[in-house]
Amino acid sequence: MDFSLSEEQQMLSDGAEKFLAAHYSFEQRRALLSSEAGFSEQNWQTFAELGWLALAVPEDAGGLGGSFIDTILIMEAMGRRLVLEPYATTAVLATRVIAQSRNRELRSSLLSQIAQGTCRVALAHGELASRYDMRAVQTCARPEQDGYLIDGVKVMAFDAPSAHKLIVSASIADTNEIALFLLDANTLGVTVRSYPLIDGTRAADVEVAAVRVNRSSLLATGREALEVLDEAIDRLVLARVAEGLGAMEVVLQLATEHLRSRQQFGQPLIRFQALQHRLAEMFVEIQETRSILYRGLAHIEAPAAERRAAVSAAKVVAANAGRIVGEQGIQLHGGVGMTEEYQVGHYFKRLIALEKAFGDVDYHLERLAGSGKGV
Amino acid sequence: MNFEFSPEDEAFRAEVREFIRANLPAEIACDARRWFNPKVDNYRRWQGILAARGWGAPHWPPEYGGTDWSAIRRHIFMEEIYKADAPDFFWQGTHMLAPVLIAFGSADQKSRFLPKILNGEESWCQGFSEPGAGSDLATLRTAAKLEGDHYIINGQKIWTSDARESDWGFFLVRTDPTVKPQRGLSFIVARMDTPGIRIRPIRTIDGREELNEVFFDNVRVPQAQLVGEPGMGWTYAKYLLDKERTASAFLYFNKRHLQKAKALASEQFAGGVRLIDTPAFSRKVARVEADLLALEWSVLRILAQEKNKYDLNAVVSALKIRGSEMQQRVTELQIDALGPLALRHFERRDATIDDPTWMPGWPELAIGASSLFLFERAATIYGGAREVQKNIIAKLAIGS
Repeated sequence: MDFSLSEEQQMLSDGAEKFLAAHYSFEQRRALLSSEAGFSEQNWQTFAELGWLALAVPEDAGGLGGSFIDTILIMEAMGRRLVLEPYATTAVLATRVIAQSRNRELRSSLLSQIAQGTCRVALAHGELASRYDMRAVQTCARPEQDGYLIDGVKVMAFDAPSAHKLIVSASIADTNEIALFLLDANTLGVTVRSYPLIDGTRAADVEVAAVRVNRSSLLATGREALEVLDEAIDRLVLARVAEGLGAMEVVLQLATEHLRSRQQFGQPLIRFQALQHRLAEMFVEIQETRSILYRGLAHIEAPAAERRAAVSAAKVVAANAGRIVGEQGIQLHGGVGMTEEYQVGHYFKRLIALEKAFGDVDYHLERLAGSGKGV
Repeated sequence: MNFEFSPEDEAFRAEVREFIRANLPAEIACDARRWFNPKVDNYRRWQGILAARGWGAPHWPPEYGGTDWSAIRRHIFMEEIYKADAPDFFWQGTHMLAPVLIAFGSADQKSRFLPKILNGEESWCQGFSEPGAGSDLATLRTAAKLEGDHYIINGQKIWTSDARESDWGFFLVRTDPTVKPQRGLSFIVARMDTPGIRIRPIRTIDGREELNEVFFDNVRVPQAQLVGEPGMGWTYAKYLLDKERTASAFLYFNKRHLQKAKALASEQFAGGVRLIDTPAFSRKVARVEADLLALEWSVLRILAQEKNKYDLNAVVSALKIRGSEMQQRVTELQIDALGPLALRHFERRDATIDDPTWMPGWPELAIGASSLFLFERAATIYGGAREVQKNIIAKLAIGS
């Protein structure tokens, strides 16, 4: 058992820190927030040049085929800077779904485009009635002679506004099996209704109205589709635990700096033991989040039941920690913590966004409880 | 990064598991599982069995009867001990006193005391705290004055676990009242039946009398029973507390008692459904479970000597905070699982499932569950109160 990074991993991690420190100051981020796309196309190209978009792409598809740890390192670094580019959606979630697909043609063409930075792919899966239930798909795909006719409305498709392609789930008429289709975002009949999220990233409701697709756009069906989706989402959830961890560490740093510099009652606030204890509590939460992240990493290649339990445990611990650290972060800053102008509130909003995406605490508690794979 | 136990370590685990299976007497496992009214002789017997195999004190250096196991192997060993419902060590002797004797004791002290700790023949209690010195040990007042070749000890210790069942005790005493408080302390051992030592049990809210006050009234202790140098007691005590850094997580205890909580919840029914299958209770269990899994990996990170950007003492304090809170949460789960049955008060002398007063149908694990729950309120108080741990974190990790 060894928790130290390899030389290559250390370089990757340091490189990410360095690049983001130079290109992702709070002011630079603020400018991106108010831009049309909500992120920088130039940064996306740099991610491609740095190889970050190819990390999870298998070697046989022109990628780096790196270990999942590499992705985790990038995500933690991005969490520290509240990166706005839709990295996790394309490079973790969609990349994994496509990499696991048996549709050879789509797999090789899409993955190489993703790795080169010319294609972003979002998942349009959730629906109004589904909440976090993966199987509850009402969008319908009616089999036709050469393909399918798809109808339905997807909600909260993260990063769909900037995606070139969409992975759309649908329930096949008659069999009720789930299928994953790959659609061009600008297909006639596909309407992407965009909105911003509380953390500044973008999502969309995606209406698919009588869209005809070819059989060749099918990524996976039936049991396999569910398994592929489930596994890819688990990877995403764990990657975003790492992102949250990075964000939490910065919150603790910001709060500490604030308490050191802010004078009240004739002394720096950090002299007050009640406030020191808050910082200590945040520290404990962060420590435990890192531990459960590593445990998740250790089980990410395990059989499904163990993987699911480990990812859910990680999400539960991280989401709970995120609430505590984020809320205390604001509280310790006092009024300034409430302002849009100051950083800490943005971290809080990102932590809440992470918490509520792809299964909240209750959902993952339920999944962990039903797993029989705990202590 | 590599998160797997090596094949050699897995083979080691199998070896330990097999040894315990073949050598742990059923009545001792039963005692440890019920934990509430163990026969001390049973535990001593088990210590002897381990010692005969060379595993009586794995963390000691081999020349004293220990092993050369890595921290990870010692962890695996303890996991298997607890999984099999085998008793834990008598910590005060094996884990607290012995490392100090090995590092600082005289040759005579080592040969006199270590073998009998190892084979379970003699047991030890610890006396650091005093009525006026809880988390703040520097203010200890119990005094030891050298007269000829004896120290004369006067004063009082408190919260001494198992003082009446122990053959010997080790104590922090003030040998020099004139120097800085930390400098005047010495580390001394005494037989518990030495004239002038009086023990008064303290009945705690859990109904047990494990803790004691120990009074010293002109107690004469040979000078040769002072460990190491006079005035170094503070250093030795810190050494002792630093020795088993991950112990404060109470990982194995917590895992065992979470299992028991689950077992209880599988036997209890609510509205015709097993409690463990109800959404409310299963989520409650899962919530504790997730935090316990995190704690386990916090322990592994320390055992595997992860390079950490934070001061190790702060990291260990975080373990202590979580570990102690977890002791409270797993025992809370047990009484939550029992519901109204948790209300029954058990006395040690009457609590056995074989007792004629035992009610048919009551779960075996109900015995003492509420007592343990009550006792665990102490977990966040002893060994450096939670608030002291937070002070340490604030100072060392955050730099307040």
